[in-house]
Amino acid sequence: MLQSSFRHLAWKSWLRPWQKMDWALVVLPVVLTLLGGTAIRSAELNQGLTDWWQHLIIGGIGLVLALTIARWPYEALLRWHWLVYLVTNLSLIAVMVVGTSGLGAQRWINIAGFYVQPSEFAKIGLIITLAALLHHRPAASIPAIVQVLAVMCVPWVLIFLQPDLGTSLVFGAITLGMLYWANANPGWIILLISPIVSIVLFNLPLPSNLSLILWGLWVLAMGITGWLTIPLPLFGALGGVVINLISAGVGHLLWGLLKDYQKDRLILFLDPDKDPLGGGYHLIQSRIAIGAGELLGRGLNHGTQTQLNFIPEQHTDFIFSAIGEELGFIGGLGVLLLFWLVGLRLVMIAHTAKDNFGSLLAIGVFSMLMFQVVINISMTIGLAPVTGIPLPWMSYGRSALLTNFIAIGLVESVANHRRRRKY
Amino acid sequence: MATTTSRRSEATTTATKTRPQGTTLRLLLVWVVLIFGELGLAARLVYLHVVEAPVLLAKARAQQLTPLRPFSARRPIVDRLNNILAIDESVYTLYVHPYLFNQPAEVVATQLAPIVKRSVSDLTQLFKTAESGIPVAYELSEQVVDQIKGLQLEGLDLSQERQRLYPQADLTSNLVGYVNGDHEGQAGLEYSLQKQLEPVARSAKVSFDGQGVLLPDRVPLNLIRADDQKLRLTLDTRLQRAARAALKKQLNHYRALRGTVIVMDVQDGSLLALVSEPSYDPKRYYQADPELYKNWALSDLYEPGSTFKPINVAIALETGRVQPDNVFYDEGKIAVGGWPIQNNDYAYAGSRGPLSISKILEYSSNVGMVHIMQQVKPAVYYDWLARLGIGHKVGSDLPFETAGQFKPKAQFTSYPIEPATTAFGQGFSMTPLQMTQLHALLANGGKLVTPHVVQGVFNSAGEATWKPDLPVRQVLAPTTTQAVVSMMGNVVSRGTGKPAQIPGYRLGGKTGTAQKAVGGQYSSARITSFVGIFPLEAPRYVVLSVVDEPKGDDAYGSTVAAPVVKSVIETLITLEGIPPSHPAEVHPQPKKQ
Repeated sequence: MLQSSFRHLAWKSWLRPWQKMDWALVVLPVVLTLLGGTAIRSAELNQGLTDWWQHLIIGGIGLVLALTIARWPYEALLRWHWLVYLVTNLSLIAVMVVGTSGLGAQRWINIAGFYVQPSEFAKIGLIITLAALLHHRPAASIPAIVQVLAVMCVPWVLIFLQPDLGTSLVFGAITLGMLYWANANPGWIILLISPIVSIVLFNLPLPSNLSLILWGLWVLAMGITGWLTIPLPLFGALGGVVINLISAGVGHLLWGLLKDYQKDRLILFLDPDKDPLGGGYHLIQSRIAIGAGELLGRGLNHGTQTQLNFIPEQHTDFIFSAIGEELGFIGGLGVLLLFWLVGLRLVMIAHTAKDNFGSLLAIGVFSMLMFQVVINISMTIGLAPVTGIPLPWMSYGRSALLTNFIAIGLVESVANHRRRRKY
Repeated sequence: MATTTSRRSEATTTATKTRPQGTTLRLLLVWVVLIFGELGLAARLVYLHVVEAPVLLAKARAQQLTPLRPFSARRPIVDRLNNILAIDESVYTLYVHPYLFNQPAEVVATQLAPIVKRSVSDLTQLFKTAESGIPVAYELSEQVVDQIKGLQLEGLDLSQERQRLYPQADLTSNLVGYVNGDHEGQAGLEYSLQKQLEPVARSAKVSFDGQGVLLPDRVPLNLIRADDQKLRLTLDTRLQRAARAALKKQLNHYRALRGTVIVMDVQDGSLLALVSEPSYDPKRYYQADPELYKNWALSDLYEPGSTFKPINVAIALETGRVQPDNVFYDEGKIAVGGWPIQNNDYAYAGSRGPLSISKILEYSSNVGMVHIMQQVKPAVYYDWLARLGIGHKVGSDLPFETAGQFKPKAQFTSYPIEPATTAFGQGFSMTPLQMTQLHALLANGGKLVTPHVVQGVFNSAGEATWKPDLPVRQVLAPTTTQAVVSMMGNVVSRGTGKPAQIPGYRLGGKTGTAQKAVGGQYSSARITSFVGIFPLEAPRYVVLSVVDEPKGDDAYGSTVAAPVVKSVIETLITLEGIPPSHPAEVHPQPKKQ
């Protein structure tokens, strides 16, 4: 009896360091990782690849890492955030110098036989750096935003040069999400995105002058946004209009410089049948596989399109198509639900964090993960162009998997060091 | 540790409190984005998995399953000894797609040039003519294809095609025929037995993976097991070759238009040889005179002349109106219905006086034949001829057969000249093949057999999977035909058939030298023939040789055609190992010391 209660006590004391942790946020990634490993195995079954177990091993390492980080007070990073920033940039420069090429880009560093992809870890570096900066100086003023953008620019350019379009987009998403959470005026965020919208609207192949009219309205709206949100209204309005006018023009010019096939690659997802054997192949095959899964799926390891290797790179970026085919609509919806719950928990922790730094860390991770989920799944179901963005925890990719677990570890540390439990 | 943490927490609380009032709104906005983002994806999933699913599933199936028409070779044709007469082989056409080249066009040209035997500059020029789909070389063999594949060049395309090989070329083309570019039989057995030669293509749907690799799971067993059946003929290529050589020799010697030799097994009508000259090369059929595609031995008609006389004798004997030992008076020249009829040798032999039936055949007396057949009523005579199939097709398995020409019964019975000319084989026509069939009838004891060259379709175990239907009809009594055959033996031993004699052996025969009817008028051109029945004692073979329009004054059936038949029978003796019936003639008794 005594012994039993002693044991009980020992058990409790052993768990104490993780007492306030959000267990759901640990379980969900583990479930996703296991699901991912199963799907990767299925996709690799007839490809002669057997590295699916590495996904599970790295997942296990990641889990241990996350739990370790969760014990450790995240506030310590506040003091070291410039070091984090320095290491991040140095690793990205190292890739440019001693990196290994693959798939048309220089992304990997060979460390003792392991290929490490620094751009994945750079995402966490960016989140920590921006959270620290915004913790000290919320984005409520223009200079604060300019500072954040300037800091973010260095690693962003380094990644863009690799080139790694996918990760640079994730950087943008992280930055915007964190700026928003750090009290940036929503109008400014809209103004930040506005050039892209302007380019798209200006070049939209719509009938008659509809695209021009839409673009004109957008430029006008941005002028008004600038007027209302920038401290110097006149300057703001003018800036908003001018930036949008220029970007539309520059965008149009750049678009004209692109070769037809390059243009196709960007807009092919709208009509992949235009080039069914070239750029559209991936999109078409992924869509076919998912649709062929129907409501309940073909059954694990029984998806014909998956098993017959109709989808290139299925075990990495297109893993969702394997889920869609073999586990059907139910499986696909289940994965969406799991990610939604992850997002839910992250926002919860961001909301209940004891300080801005923690809150911003959680939102940074939230932005990173949710952006990747939405863009990756959109790409597999034909809603977005193919940009190499992996699906968190599910796509095969050791650096990405570790990064995601480290990110969860950071957020768990935020959760673990809250003043009281809050659900 | 704990205290520091709490202190720090307190310090940061102020920062939290500095957040503007809009925090809840911001949180709400994040919620909205999160929920709508997920809902948007879920909506698309509903669309793909539920609405579009049947279409996409069908697309998936269509990609995986491709109807595959098995590459089934046309069945080979072999002779009775399984020598190949026609067989399929794979050949390849090489196409290049310059836009897919992974090396400069010049490099590709340099590497390909020696293999396809074209010059480098030639190929380089060719590669500039189009972006893709340029045919470079045709009819490449497997070995050449292996060489090309060994180059590991991109942008090359080898398309497999079937090609029909005819190893015996023009020796058997008159029987085998040829296939056109689409592999369709156009002449000979290739044409008439299209169904037996083309294996039933079992179309199956098989699965392919994403890389286009054929998967074995749905491949039916019979797709892998190749069709092992072949069409076997009754033909003996060795005999065919010997017969052609003998015929060609005579054709050249007498500068004849054309000739044919037919060797038939009398018991079942199977043909051991059927030569018709001139012939054509089935591989270069397009260069040949289309007239040659049909085998004139069964597509063209001729007036059989004297070779038909034994058939008439058989009819006369069968009716009972004439007995084998009857004697008829040969005036040498008579008039029937106002038309003069005379013997071929009337000019120097004149009247031969009374002749037995055998003698009539030996001398090939026209007048004697007229007298024999005058014993039979024209209507009865006509009916017998009709019963023997005169004026009808023999129904062989070779295509393009022509039915013989025969007068209507009313005309035959009303004009005495009609049965009279028919008595010595003129005034009607038939194919050489039918002539052979009629002599087989004499040789086999009165059975009308169906001439044919096909044994059937056989699998590798030697079992027949298809056999032709070969009706046999008993028409004459064996006693009748035996009497006629022995008379034909006399023709060779004592009469016009002497040139066909073979020491040690006995054979029956009959010469034929007929004037050719051109445009309804008899011309000076002749058609000479000889028919032999061998061995005389127990006939197994009928050999007919017909030579059309031999030139020269000495061109008769006995001089032109009989040596061909003799030569063919000699070959038969060798091939079949037939022992001599009169060994003393071949192996003279060594003189005693």
